[in-house]
Amino acid sequence: MSVEPFPDRPRVDAHEKVRGAAIYAADVALPGLLHAMLVPATIAKGRVTAVPVEAALQVPGVVRVLTATDFPPPVQPAGAGGPPPPPPMITPEIAYRGQPFAIVLAETLEAAIEGAEAIRPDYAPDLAFTPLIDSPGHRREPVEPITAGDAADAMTRAVTRHSAEYVSPAQHHNPIEMLSTTAFWADGVLTVHEGTQSTSGTKGAVGRNLRLEPDQLVVKSPQIGGGFGQKGTPQRQSAIVAHAAMLTGRPVKLVLPRGQIFHNASFRPRSRHRIEIGADATGKMIAVRYDADHQQSRSGQFPPAEYLEAAPQMYGFTDYHGTAANVRIDTQSPGYMRAPHPHPSCFAFESAVDELALMLEQDPVAFRLRHEATIDPIHNRPHSSNHLHSCLREGARRFGWDRRTAAPGSMTLPDGTLVGWGVASGAYPVHIHPNIATLTVRADGTTRFAAAAHEMGQGIRSTIEQVLVRELDIDPTRLELAIGDTSAAAQHTTAGSWGTGSVVPAALEAASRMKAALAELLGDRQVGGNLHRQLARVKRPSLSVEVTRIPYGQGQKELATFQQGGMALAGPFFPAFTTFSFIAHFVEVHVEPRTRRVRVPRVVSVADCGRVVSPRTAASQVRGGVTWAISAALREVTEVDPRYGGWLNNDLADYVVAVNADIGEIDVSFIDEPDPVVNALGVKGLGEVAMVGCAAAVANGIHHATGRRLREMPFRIETLL
Amino acid sequence: MTDPDAGGPASLIELDRREVLVAGAGAAVALTLETGTAQAQASAGAEAAPPGTAMTIRPRINGRAMSVEIDTRTSLLDLLRERLQLTGAKKGCDHGQCGACTVHLDGQRVASCLTLAAKMDGRAVTTIEGLAEGDGLHPMQQAFIDHDALQCGYCTPGQIMAAVACVREGHATDRASIREYMSGNICRCGAYVGIVAAIEAVAQGRQA
Repeated sequence: MSVEPFPDRPRVDAHEKVRGAAIYAADVALPGLLHAMLVPATIAKGRVTAVPVEAALQVPGVVRVLTATDFPPPVQPAGAGGPPPPPPMITPEIAYRGQPFAIVLAETLEAAIEGAEAIRPDYAPDLAFTPLIDSPGHRREPVEPITAGDAADAMTRAVTRHSAEYVSPAQHHNPIEMLSTTAFWADGVLTVHEGTQSTSGTKGAVGRNLRLEPDQLVVKSPQIGGGFGQKGTPQRQSAIVAHAAMLTGRPVKLVLPRGQIFHNASFRPRSRHRIEIGADATGKMIAVRYDADHQQSRSGQFPPAEYLEAAPQMYGFTDYHGTAANVRIDTQSPGYMRAPHPHPSCFAFESAVDELALMLEQDPVAFRLRHEATIDPIHNRPHSSNHLHSCLREGARRFGWDRRTAAPGSMTLPDGTLVGWGVASGAYPVHIHPNIATLTVRADGTTRFAAAAHEMGQGIRSTIEQVLVRELDIDPTRLELAIGDTSAAAQHTTAGSWGTGSVVPAALEAASRMKAALAELLGDRQVGGNLHRQLARVKRPSLSVEVTRIPYGQGQKELATFQQGGMALAGPFFPAFTTFSFIAHFVEVHVEPRTRRVRVPRVVSVADCGRVVSPRTAASQVRGGVTWAISAALREVTEVDPRYGGWLNNDLADYVVAVNADIGEIDVSFIDEPDPVVNALGVKGLGEVAMVGCAAAVANGIHHATGRRLREMPFRIETLL
Repeated sequence: MTDPDAGGPASLIELDRREVLVAGAGAAVALTLETGTAQAQASAGAEAAPPGTAMTIRPRINGRAMSVEIDTRTSLLDLLRERLQLTGAKKGCDHGQCGACTVHLDGQRVASCLTLAAKMDGRAVTTIEGLAEGDGLHPMQQAFIDHDALQCGYCTPGQIMAAVACVREGHATDRASIREYMSGNICRCGAYVGIVAAIEAVAQGRQA
């Protein structure tokens, strides 16, 4: 098996995407389709007591209005150790502003919208709701600490200490493809088309809500118009739409308006990070205390402890004490948004490291290079691989860091623009998931590979194609990659950068088995041509192989969980090693002297993600992560209106994300060293780590430009004035 | 650069041999050819007239003249996507804030979600499906592939339609200008570096 570097090839589905021919969930055309629109609650908490539907039914084209009494009761929690219940469908109890209490079905979209707007329910509002993490009624819930050594004792030996609080705001993913579900019931099978990173999760949630058996349900998500974690957990509308399709006997399509998505999708919760770092007399970090908490719904499960994971893997200190808590309020449940924990935590920690380096009068790159982590101090195990120092050195070289002058405000342009150069590192845990892949090569020139994976633009199809095309002499133009489809193969949630590392080893092994199967078929016969021609010559229509990959440390139990639609993640803490991806970002910021507007004209990022499988799409992934970080650092926050609950800036004009003019040059490179143990190709993971730490590099650059230390994102003009 | 929108409104008044008649509320789409053959296509919706206030428009879409009975509230985007199965233009906000629905109207880029279908009578609309001639790619489409100016691909049709217009308007003079005039099209995946490189290449004639 070859782990040589992979060549630069075009994105495998770029051709169909540039022609507008790629089919996303809401593009599927179905005869007899009904259009749906949800009706959102306008109270923050309480109960819907009556839903008059007559006015809606009088709108020409409206076919039916479904309310809570039309839906089965919510699935009860399974109890300790069981899976969380699926999102409820439509209930009279309202837990957050914007929660749907009715769905209108109509012959046209225009009629569905008019029908939804005609509904005025009666409410019994509960006025004692808790909109913010510091509002009365919040409940703070600490979780288990994460520790190594004795941080309290080590801190007493520190001669230099830095302590501060850093804040990451609530944010929404806002993929440009809006949440949507299209469902139809035919011949005893419910088919759901939905942009989801988890066709298995959607299948499970819809099946449990509607009490369907697994063989009665197919979920398809072959192309996702951006996920970023928003589409990784079950979506509120899926079972509502599916139930409507079953009741009416017609296909039903719902595309949520973006304002409703802000209230019904998950979001990145507001989080606070109190960090204390102590350095000894030689200026080395010896102790860290980290306390994090975040905004949480009343029943949400998005874990706060993971904020504590990245920092102890980066710099080799062995005395660490991490504590974390949920702060429960009245909101919809927060969840995973790109680099869910490491982005906020490395913003905080890498800002703190920068502040400590300045206190010690050390160059921030040189300071980081004085600290090397080779082991995971929490579990006392070696890292599988860690090239963070190579990332820092190579990044500094490409950026021209040696031309930096240390004093804040010391670098300016002729027009008075303040220039700041900032650096920061990032780490992201590596996970691997089981996979079951089927590879079929046919004499007619086609090839089909089916496995667990979802394509959301990260380029996972391109990585699979790279492996199959390198290993097998097949026609790449007629290669079907059947992923994101529960009828093609068992599926998992594709997120957390585990997609590629969980599927390309299966593709590699499938290719190897295919070669062996063909050799066995041919025996002593010498047959020329590619695999298709060889099969044709021996009059064999097709040849199939199946591969089951179970991550290191797992067994039949985890495989069974996966086959039953559950998740069976391994890592990053394996029995014999701990595995993380790493990155270093170097950022140039320009601060206009009068308006204090911050621009980021130039970024250099160097990533250690193990072997790079698809160089072109990998570079795009990193540029995307950097763009996300700049956007998070300078633009994005979702504001709560504490008077009414709910999100104020719930559209793309008021929730401002980075546009083209906000992004300058981004130079991306890779260490491209295969990890020796994590999987057969040495692939760690990339899409998440790409963003991690970069927001701190922006903050550190702003400090270098202005002398102002900003500890709460986003950094806007008014912050710096 | 070839201009598939050339022709202008004046040429659209007469329905041509490839006249398309689209009737009913998201209904069966009948392609009425002048030769008298009628070809029914399965389409979404019931076999009824639009339930709201209806009117007939005669736009030319991707070079093809057609007659469509619409609900007067219908946006151009919903007409394209829900009635004509031209799903290349995407809905990302329905508020004119994201650019995913960008198409050309008489050669100018517009947000089709903010454009009423009722105003399309006698107008020429080009979508991503009609950008290239024949089965080939428009140079901008090829440049987007070459520079990997996309990831999920959802905003890509709108980006490409905006990019073609950006060049045509004379705004693709340098990177700063391209960035400014492409800022109405959000790419949440963050492919801006590739998008700028692709447009720059086409504008400088470096693309095939």
